[in-house]
Amino acid sequence: MFSDDTVISLEGISKRYYLRSQRPEDFKTTVLHLPSFLTRDGNRKAFWALDGVSFTVKRGESIGVVGPNGSGKSTLLKIMADLARPTQGKISVNGRISALLELGAGFHPQITGRENAILNAVLLGLTRREAAEVLPDIIAFSELGDFIDEPMRTYSSGMYVRLGFSVAVHVHADILLVDEVLAVGDGEFQEKCFDHIERLRAQGVTIVLVSHDLGSVVRFCERAILLHHGKVQVEGKSQPVVHEYLSRIAAVLGHAVSS
Amino acid sequence: MLGFVWSVIKPLLLGLVLYVILSHVAKIQTDIPYQLVLLPALFPWSWFQTSALMATPAIANNGNLIKKVHFPRYVLPFATVANNMVHFLLTIPIIMIIVLVAGFRPNYTWLIGIPLLTLVELALLLGTVLIVSAIDVYFRDLEHLLDVFLNLGFYMTPIIYPISALGRYRNVALINPMASLIEAWRNLFARNELPTPVDLWPCVAFAIAAVLVGSFVFGRLEKGFADVL
Repeated sequence: MFSDDTVISLEGISKRYYLRSQRPEDFKTTVLHLPSFLTRDGNRKAFWALDGVSFTVKRGESIGVVGPNGSGKSTLLKIMADLARPTQGKISVNGRISALLELGAGFHPQITGRENAILNAVLLGLTRREAAEVLPDIIAFSELGDFIDEPMRTYSSGMYVRLGFSVAVHVHADILLVDEVLAVGDGEFQEKCFDHIERLRAQGVTIVLVSHDLGSVVRFCERAILLHHGKVQVEGKSQPVVHEYLSRIAAVLGHAVSS
Repeated sequence: MLGFVWSVIKPLLLGLVLYVILSHVAKIQTDIPYQLVLLPALFPWSWFQTSALMATPAIANNGNLIKKVHFPRYVLPFATVANNMVHFLLTIPIIMIIVLVAGFRPNYTWLIGIPLLTLVELALLLGTVLIVSAIDVYFRDLEHLLDVFLNLGFYMTPIIYPISALGRYRNVALINPMASLIEAWRNLFARNELPTPVDLWPCVAFAIAAVLVGSFVFGRLEKGFADVL
């Protein structure tokens, strides 16, 4: 089922969350509200963040995921990163994943940037020694200078992203998942990140990029997927997909204007 | 270095207070000097109690990490146990000094007994923290419940008294897996006695069961961590 160059394959992936589930969060509430606890299922409402998503990503490909807020982009990345399990469907991933999801990326605010970089690199699968080896590269790439030895609670959001991105791209992963974080960095750093992503791609690293920066998607991704209401609406070369997305936005806006 | 000081000072202060009150105020009578009844039991117990308490919220308090970084989730509670194990091992020299001052002589049994009992307690702890840290994600008040039970456990386990003081209720006390383990620690440090299989089986059986049940429970519950946190 796995052709040699397929690194990610999703078949009918769906993810359900519950709204108004009112799940009790402790024993006390569970016991005190036992009757309503037993009947609570009648009250809750299913919400399908992803609904039958299927596609494959090949080695060395870079693929963009676009769509409005709440369309399921982040849920999709979480499932690819094995941070959340799909309710239905099958996913196979062939290779080691490094994911940079949202701001913060699991940093601990009390310890220094340097310590966080090592901790994060180890959590992402490096050994301590490997982490120590790439640490100078991580620090150099982040351009944090002396701030690297300050506790991370003192960092700005831009500095967070710089360190998070630097760690994520230096852990020798086969697949890099990036979720809308680069927007926080300044233009110069963004350019540097994209240059680095290009280099990784040349080495055969697969990239999945979630972004609202459609220009970047067209520029760096050969393929793109448009998600809406948890479903894949359009899939194909990034230029036409982004074009389609824009014309849908235009249609919605035009409708709003005319009514 | 500061960490070492704290890891030694905390159980030592508690031990000192208990020793003064129980030995000199309440005047408990024991066949060996009371400090040899108390400290060799108190320090291994502190390892258990502190680890269990600290490891329970280890997953629930790290939602940020759980939701954004993929790594084996069990390392969070395990790290707490390992950290406290090092603290405990650092208190063994203190026990040795107290034993020597009391005029007793440690012998080769320590070299066998310490690794053996450490391993049993470690297994018991790892299994336990797998269960409680996973359940705590779904029921946050487990932390408070456990705190109460551990405080009860302190008195129900033969720590401030030898198990022989229980007389015919001895077998009831042994239902508690920590009872046979703590008694084994005391007999090792205070009497150079290695535990026999008969002495230790309740605890070993519990430890094995805890590891098996813990792996199963954790494996089932961890699938939902990212959704609940």
